Amino acid sequence: MKPKLMVHMANQIADFFAAYPHEEAVAGVADHLKKFWEPRMMRQLHEYIAQGGEGLHALVLEAAQKN
Amino acid sequence: MRIYVPCDSSALSVGADAVARAIMAEISSRGLSDVTVIRNGSRGLFWLEPLVEVETARGRVAYGPVTPGVVVELFDAGMLEGKPHGLCLGLTEEIPYLKRQERLTFARCGITDPLSLSDYIAHGGYQGLKRARTMTPEAIVEETVQSGLRGRGGAGFPTGIKWRTVLKTPASQKYIVCNADEGDSGTYADRMIMEGDPFVLIEGMTIAGLAVGATQGYVYIRSEYPHGFRTMRRAVEIAREAGYLGPDFDIDIRLGAGAYICGEETSLLESLEGKRGQVRPRPPLPAVEGLFGKPTVVNNLISLATVPIIFDRGAQFYRDFGMGRSRGTLTIQLAGNLKYAGLVEKAFGLTLREAIYDFGGGTRTGRPFRAVQVGGPLGAYFPEALLDTPLDYEAFAEKKGLIGHGGVVVFDDTVDLAEQARFAMEFCAIESCGKCTPCRIGSTRGVEVIDRIVAGQDRARNLELLNDLCETLLDGSLCALGGLTPFPVQSAVHHFPEDFAKLKV
Amino acid sequence: MPLLQETDYGTPLSVINTLVTLEIDGQPVTVPAGTSVMRAAVEAGIGIPKLCATDSVKAFGSCRLCLVEIDGKRGTPASCTTTVEPGMHVRTQTPKLAKLRRGVMELYISDHPLDCLTCSANGDCELQDMAGAVGLREVRYGYAGENHLSAPKDESNPYFTFEASKCIVCSRCVRACEEVQGTFALTIQGRGFESKVSAGGKPFLDSECVSCGACVQACPTATLNEKSVIQMGVPERSVITTCAYCGVGCTFKAELQGDQVVRMVPHKDGKANHGHSCVKGRFAIGYATHKDRILNPMIRAKISDPWREVSWEDAISHAASEFKRIQAKYGRDSVGGITSSRCTNEETYLVQKMIRAAFGNNNVDTCARVCHSPTGYGLKATFGTSAGTQDFDSVEEADVMMVIGANPTDAHPVFASQMKRRLREGAKLIIVDPRRIDLVETPHVKADYHLALQPGANVAVINALAHVIVTEGLAAEDDIKERCDAKAFELWRTFIVQEKNSPESLESVTGIPAAEIRGAARLYATGGNAAIYYGLGVTEHSQGSTMVMGMANLAMLTGNLGRRGVGVNPLRGQNNVQGACDMGSFPHEFSGYRHVSDDSTRKMLEQDWHVALDGEPGLRIPNMLDAAVDGTFKGLYVQGEDIVQSDPNTKHVTAGLEAMECVVVQDLFLNETANYAHVFLPGSSFLEKDGTFTNAERRIGRVRKAIAPMAGLEDWQATMALSNALGYPMNYTHPSEIMDEIARLTPTFAGVTYQKLDELGSVQWPCNEEAPEGTPIMHIGKFASGKGKFMLTEFVPTDERSTARFPLILTTGRILSQYNVGAQTARTPNNIWHSEDVLEIHPSDAENRGIRDGDLVSLASRSGDIALPAKISERMQPGVVYTTFHHAMTGANVVTTEFSDWATNCPEYKVTAVQVQLAKKTSEWQQRYGEMRRQNTRILEDDAVMAHGD
Repeated sequence: MKPKLMVHMANQIADFFAAYPHEEAVAGVADHLKKFWEPRMMRQLHEYIAQGGEGLHALVLEAAQKN
Repeated sequence: MRIYVPCDSSALSVGADAVARAIMAEISSRGLSDVTVIRNGSRGLFWLEPLVEVETARGRVAYGPVTPGVVVELFDAGMLEGKPHGLCLGLTEEIPYLKRQERLTFARCGITDPLSLSDYIAHGGYQGLKRARTMTPEAIVEETVQSGLRGRGGAGFPTGIKWRTVLKTPASQKYIVCNADEGDSGTYADRMIMEGDPFVLIEGMTIAGLAVGATQGYVYIRSEYPHGFRTMRRAVEIAREAGYLGPDFDIDIRLGAGAYICGEETSLLESLEGKRGQVRPRPPLPAVEGLFGKPTVVNNLISLATVPIIFDRGAQFYRDFGMGRSRGTLTIQLAGNLKYAGLVEKAFGLTLREAIYDFGGGTRTGRPFRAVQVGGPLGAYFPEALLDTPLDYEAFAEKKGLIGHGGVVVFDDTVDLAEQARFAMEFCAIESCGKCTPCRIGSTRGVEVIDRIVAGQDRARNLELLNDLCETLLDGSLCALGGLTPFPVQSAVHHFPEDFAKLKV
Repeated sequence: MPLLQETDYGTPLSVINTLVTLEIDGQPVTVPAGTSVMRAAVEAGIGIPKLCATDSVKAFGSCRLCLVEIDGKRGTPASCTTTVEPGMHVRTQTPKLAKLRRGVMELYISDHPLDCLTCSANGDCELQDMAGAVGLREVRYGYAGENHLSAPKDESNPYFTFEASKCIVCSRCVRACEEVQGTFALTIQGRGFESKVSAGGKPFLDSECVSCGACVQACPTATLNEKSVIQMGVPERSVITTCAYCGVGCTFKAELQGDQVVRMVPHKDGKANHGHSCVKGRFAIGYATHKDRILNPMIRAKISDPWREVSWEDAISHAASEFKRIQAKYGRDSVGGITSSRCTNEETYLVQKMIRAAFGNNNVDTCARVCHSPTGYGLKATFGTSAGTQDFDSVEEADVMMVIGANPTDAHPVFASQMKRRLREGAKLIIVDPRRIDLVETPHVKADYHLALQPGANVAVINALAHVIVTEGLAAEDDIKERCDAKAFELWRTFIVQEKNSPESLESVTGIPAAEIRGAARLYATGGNAAIYYGLGVTEHSQGSTMVMGMANLAMLTGNLGRRGVGVNPLRGQNNVQGACDMGSFPHEFSGYRHVSDDSTRKMLEQDWHVALDGEPGLRIPNMLDAAVDGTFKGLYVQGEDIVQSDPNTKHVTAGLEAMECVVVQDLFLNETANYAHVFLPGSSFLEKDGTFTNAERRIGRVRKAIAPMAGLEDWQATMALSNALGYPMNYTHPSEIMDEIARLTPTFAGVTYQKLDELGSVQWPCNEEAPEGTPIMHIGKFASGKGKFMLTEFVPTDERSTARFPLILTTGRILSQYNVGAQTARTPNNIWHSEDVLEIHPSDAENRGIRDGDLVSLASRSGDIALPAKISERMQPGVVYTTFHHAMTGANVVTTEFSDWATNCPEYKVTAVQVQLAKKTSEWQQRYGEMRRQNTRILEDDAVMAHGD
């Protein structure tokens, strides 16, 4: 997947949960990624974060640590 | 000082407007500032129209028929003082044709200015409503039942019983619909009321509304009545401005689209709803599911216009007129080949002969009488032998005739009853809504069969077929149009068989 | 079975509960009050002659054949218009009645052609039957009288003829058009003998007629008759089955002669359609035997090679060995499959089972991905169940309907007719749609509110509606307290009352005057039973799932759940979208919406299937294509779906497919995806197999085999063969065994068996011990998940916005006569109504660009560009253009983008920034694709065929 598209998709998830109190929001993003993202997508996300995670929503960064 | 020149269509058709103009010109040229011209309704003495009346100390004096050309002469002769002239008829009330009548429904028609509410009230208007307002809906319905009033459209169904059904059917909205689609040949009573005394209809509908809990009324007027339509519209506006109509009960005036069948109450409702004028099956009765599916009183105009006097004078007063189960008065409309065609309101029980001879004066041509058709184009043809039949619903039914809306059309001995029978079928074919099979196809076949009979083809067999067809129409039709067409046809065959066998074969 | 003659009760069923007992011809009969005497007689086994009465329309009373005599009643009342009364004594046969009926029939026949023996309705004509029943022996009027025998015949409609000379003017067609279909295209013109049926004075094809077939169905004579019957004669046997078009799931009788389908007739007992149909299910059946059908398996090494026909064995073993080779080389997760919403539950179940068990991964997805996946997600999050809450009949008690992003008269026509009936009865209507769909104003129906929002502003509108209801105190507080999670509600309340969610604040986003939103909110909250119906205009957005939750919130907020007349109701696009989702077609869920990570479910399945299962979610369709482009996904099995035409951003889809080494396509036709396939397995149409479809109301209906599979195998048999070849054994002998397995392993299907479906006709899941006959209405008393959960639905504008370069917004949809990618309908005469996709554009946008009606225009987005004809239309507001995706060569999805719903990756089809300009020729993509298509669809002809070839 193109990194730009991946960032866009991940941030969309964060945008939804951002309305919730912070704890719930982080948990929501983490849970959603776990339930719906296939392992190689998760791998790509983690690799991207490892390279700096440019453009990713703060909630995604936080949630990724939980997965 | 007042001069009355009728504005009824019957008077207008013979030049009443020109007469009125001539009179006004004369008034102004003579500088008579205290003389006003009132356009009243018609008294219903059509051979005398335009019938000009002058108010005098003795009462109203009539002159007629007046033409514009004689106006100056009449003024010169002292018409304004009710002085004699070749056209002077004496006191209007004393004209025998009028004097012998019992005018209850038409009590004011021809006397007042149709659009003058004060005239209406001065002549006893709104007395009935005043009394009705003191009564419960149940009591109003009961009073109507007691009066013996039956539907004047033709079916003769007790008006009060119909109202009772509507009263007892619970609904969020109910309607009063006045059937003013007066389509029977030779009839004009509805029109005369609309043009001559519209407030009596408004009052009658208002009482009906009180009786059943309806807040909206409609008057469905045939498109051939432009004057009646205009007068009614204006009268409703006047009544509304004066507070006689309003949120509690209001009336809308609607113009029909030109179909005989829309005088049939269910077709009328369809038409009022903006649909094709087609008969609805019954049940449900309109009293239960009528206009827009709501309980609806559908009454003939004359029935509704009779309601005020019943409430003004009481049920007993009204039911004291008439005979048998036909109570009150019938508004007979004399027409056809008669010397004195016109409106005759009389208690039920008058014989046909009395109507035709005592009022109508016999045939206009002077030739021997041969047949009379009572009740419109679907009424039976009666021969001389049946002229002593009293005008009474049951008596007529017994002779396989019907009173209908009270139209009486007379024919002299030049009439061909086979042609009339054919015309009945043709009328049915032209006016059929096309919904039910007997009427839609049967009426066209009827014309063809009569043609074959007259042409002498297989006469006996075709007469039998005509009889069978009439039975199918009578028992099989959805509404009275097809159901009654056999009346004129079979009465013609029965009473005048010789007309069907003129061509010898 | 032999030809099924359904009983015609003459008048509709009475809905009154009290019973009335009467006597007909001496026989006591008890029926509901309000029943007609005619219907009561039929119930008692007594047939009364009739012509104008039929039980799909209200009694009319015109033919006068059904007259009876009733003690105490005057004359001879019509039994169709007379309702039963307690203790009534009815006589249906007396000498008087016999004579009357003969008299009426004699009149009918005096104006009717005497060509019974050569008439197309011979043997299927009520007039003929009645003439016999009343004993008509002669027509004394003769036949020389006035008549209609030379009335012209209208053959303009491709499927049926109108032969006016045979018309008996019973008005059944007119009434069916009004009462059943609600189109009001027909009328009676003229009066008396001149009365005639007329399609508004025009030929049928040019009239308002939508070819639903209700008039043909209602006609008692040959006047309105199917051309197929005229051509082939009356059918001899019936097979009751379920339509394979939209998600309404109409029950049909396939009527056949031998193995030839003569016609499809809607079945009166069908609980979704009650005997009604639309132009697609009723008539557009010709595709099933179209010459384009591929009847032999085919393989090829490269997609640019011509196809080579091979045996089933060769094709299956080739495909299996390729998948095994790819998995060996690239890993277990390098292959996957796509199930189809067009196929049966059993077939879909089998494909996902094969992928999970034989491929050994969860890379399975289904076309619901691109339509209703947000429905599953959103309704599960709020109500606990991934499905609509009501049955269709529930609409009969709705007082307010809110239709959001759906176009029922085109896409769900049979249900639309049911909606229109209720609307004509006075129900209120709110439409939320950027486009002025037909329902906004159609005969005797007018929307009370049309909230013509900006595409992409759904969530803003639903939030504004909720804001009004909460702040104006219109919420059903008691209901919420009792049924919903209190904490979630309080959190939501705090969110929704914020000023940013008020209609006034959102006016600039929604484009709707605040007062209109307030009015609509009040109507929805206080107008009685309020039901939401929605379609892809809700789901196919970047916030599709959020919007589904927003609608669920609104229903919970106003107590509009758990009874008839209310609910949140997705109108599913395809015949088995609901079923495909139920069957475990999603990469993260097993059948019955159980997550693959749920250990207990997985263990149970592993035991039953004797195989280890993956507990991690697999790839969704767009993810598969991304992975393919990335080089980690190499093999795909696609059953009955055409992702090249239907999925967004075509260039990306084809790039993914081109990167794969083995693509297996199973379909009736060489669809667009087959252009990129290496193995083609011929599919079987719904007429050729047994199985079940589940419609939008969770109704499981039987699909029954009417004819043998034309290519030799039913689809489930092909899947089974592939699984066996892959090394995972499957041994079903009939689809009923597959359903037994589904029931055994899926709690919501536990009570479903073919036997039960045969007995009841259909059932709605959940069907189990608690609800042995199914569940028409869900969430009665409490939610499936216990407490309803309000979800926060922050409005997040899509990143797809109009720019200086792409100043217009494109939104897409469908039309009545075509279906989805057109694989079926475009191979039928339905093309007469819609032969090409067009671009609807507002007059002002057209004027600015010098575009006139019919001009070829280019439609370009950042994804690509195509050319198509323009149609000037005021259905759209300025700034918005609209097209359909029914025709392959239009390539509408070349223009749509990769953006999708945040939760489910459902594509954002409904919002694409575009530019429109006059064009001189078709686009480069269209030209290239056309050329590639010519290359890639070639089939090698064998020598014998060559020798005889022309």
